[in-house]
Amino acid sequence: MKRVSAAALLLASLACGACSPSQVFAPEVMEGVDEEFDFSRWRALPNQDEGKKVELGGAILQSDVKSDAVTIVLRQLPIVKHPAYGPKDTGKRSGEFAATFPGTLEPKFLQRGNRVIVVGTTKLAKVVVVDDIPRSLPNLEVRCLHIWNTGGREIADFPSFGAGYETLENQTWCASK
Amino acid sequence: MMVSLQAIPSLAGSAKNPPSTTSPVIVAQKAEEPAPMQGPAPVKDLPPGGTAIEDLLLQKGTITMDEWIQIRAEQEYRVADQSRRIDSLEEWKNKTELLPILRDKVNFGLNALQFLYGHLDAQVPEGRSQDSFSIRRSEMLFWGKISETIPRWHILMEFQSINLTSNTPAAANQLGTPTASTFFRESYIDVRPVQAWAPNLNLIRLGIFRMPFGIFTEQSGGLRDVISSPYLTQVGGGGGPGQNQNGTGGSIEFVQERDYFIDVRGKIANRLEYVTGVMNNNNFQANALVNTTSGLGGANSPKAWYARVRLFGNDVSFVSFTTIQGESNNAGTLINGRGKGVFDRYAVDFRYTSKIVPGFMVQGEYWQGHDGANATTVGIGANGTCQVTAVCGGSGAPGEMRRTYYVLGKYLFSEGPLENFEPTVMWEQFDPNTSMSNDLYTRTIVGLTYYFENFPPKVQSKIQLNYEFRHHQGLGTGPGTPPYNSATDPFANNAFFVQFQVRFM
Repeated sequence: MKRVSAAALLLASLACGACSPSQVFAPEVMEGVDEEFDFSRWRALPNQDEGKKVELGGAILQSDVKSDAVTIVLRQLPIVKHPAYGPKDTGKRSGEFAATFPGTLEPKFLQRGNRVIVVGTTKLAKVVVVDDIPRSLPNLEVRCLHIWNTGGREIADFPSFGAGYETLENQTWCASK
Repeated sequence: MMVSLQAIPSLAGSAKNPPSTTSPVIVAQKAEEPAPMQGPAPVKDLPPGGTAIEDLLLQKGTITMDEWIQIRAEQEYRVADQSRRIDSLEEWKNKTELLPILRDKVNFGLNALQFLYGHLDAQVPEGRSQDSFSIRRSEMLFWGKISETIPRWHILMEFQSINLTSNTPAAANQLGTPTASTFFRESYIDVRPVQAWAPNLNLIRLGIFRMPFGIFTEQSGGLRDVISSPYLTQVGGGGGPGQNQNGTGGSIEFVQERDYFIDVRGKIANRLEYVTGVMNNNNFQANALVNTTSGLGGANSPKAWYARVRLFGNDVSFVSFTTIQGESNNAGTLINGRGKGVFDRYAVDFRYTSKIVPGFMVQGEYWQGHDGANATTVGIGANGTCQVTAVCGGSGAPGEMRRTYYVLGKYLFSEGPLENFEPTVMWEQFDPNTSMSNDLYTRTIVGLTYYFENFPPKVQSKIQLNYEFRHHQGLGTGPGTPPYNSATDPFANNAFFVQFQVRFM
């Protein structure tokens, strides 16, 4: 009887859990996002698609923190739903872009390799210094961003990272309007 | 290098002859390229922005044709040399890209290297010391991703744990002989059968690993907040009183940290994580009991089912429920304190990692469950549920309900003069027999950790100081209760530990 009760509890918990949402951004944040946005074209012609609202995934290459804004240089990664929702490194080379967030972020979330999804508006190309070389990169003004503190690993590697169980810290920030 | 030494004189020499009839060494090696021509340089050779400087100098008569040819030849040589270097780099790139370690197929890291100093207040036999230096853990970790279907293989070697564990004879009045050892502590394979099912049905895991029982059991030794393991994984023994018919003495491993298992894991709606599977229920040394020729397994294999559901309030705070149901055996057991018969465990745990006060974390676990009758200590022969030790060996104790719980809190200073310091407090209690009074183990651990490097989960170098206030009431009450001397019981005397740890992966 006890075993049946335990199984029932497990199933009930699973059923309740399925009701919870899985999207990282609120629906109003996603309103107006260009679903057909061509990153390759934007990467090649960064000044021709200004003003578009887009959603992009990436991995942090570096970040530049100033008092009122954080500029993050990201390597673009596709956003996948499986095996875990979020940006996934498929091994293919992709371009870099800059994302400027008007606010502050916790330093631990800015470590290299962290996975990021940003929703924002495309702006004119911006010159940033990457590995001591000034580069003109496509630029995004961030409306909201979500960061997984993976430190370079895949999101799906958690919670079995290392020799134990590790929860994966992740958090959403949105710019104040 | 030989090419360059020969090429320059050849080119210089060729300058004395009409270029159209000359085949400079370096140009001849690149047969697809046209030989250099006299006169103005072709347009394709012009640098961006206009005419090359040597062309202008030639036109103005500042340099001779021979000098112009020499300049051009040297330029072409440099281009060819650069091209050769790039080809060489490409070749090495192609080779190195195939290396397993660069394709995530094979990785390795240092899970934990821990040097421990310990002082125990308990009386010790003549010739022994209350103080000791030791290596607590020396763990190398190897892992990799074979494919999307096999996203992880995992091996953890514990180089410190090469001592032998005794077997537990299936007969009364016999002592075990040193038999089992595990150089490897963990080895498992993850299988993700259908990508589209993940993360709802994420993985099937098979092997030996930290069991998904509560929090502490599953937490890597390299990331623990206190030095000692909690009483829920092991209490008693270690020079203290031995097993007795109250079930209150000897070493008790209420929940084993590792076992051989197969289970399925997943996460639903990013909020509810589950795992369910079956295991040997005979600890991490049980591999030694399997005959690799006949395939005959040791006792207890597999005898228990387990499940855990974990509900997340946010990304790092959760509450979870665990149960283990099945059978345990005293004959052939490699877990202390296990008897013969029905076996169960129920647990609830929680962790709250504050986002309001960053750096503050509190967690706790509550466990209870039944052990079968005639529980024994590993190495002391036992067979069956009868409580006549002359016949069945073991402790002669009836099956008992055990209970334990702890609460742990810590705060990491992230700025100011105490930056990277982390005070920790843990309080716990273990009741080996809930129907017996005067047998409680209690402990309060006060700790201070300083992090030299702290980028969990990959990097954590730290020094930990823990003082443990330990108390053990005794071995119970009533007739047949053996005498108890708290002075020699290590779980009734305070202890002090200092541990230095390095972790990098």
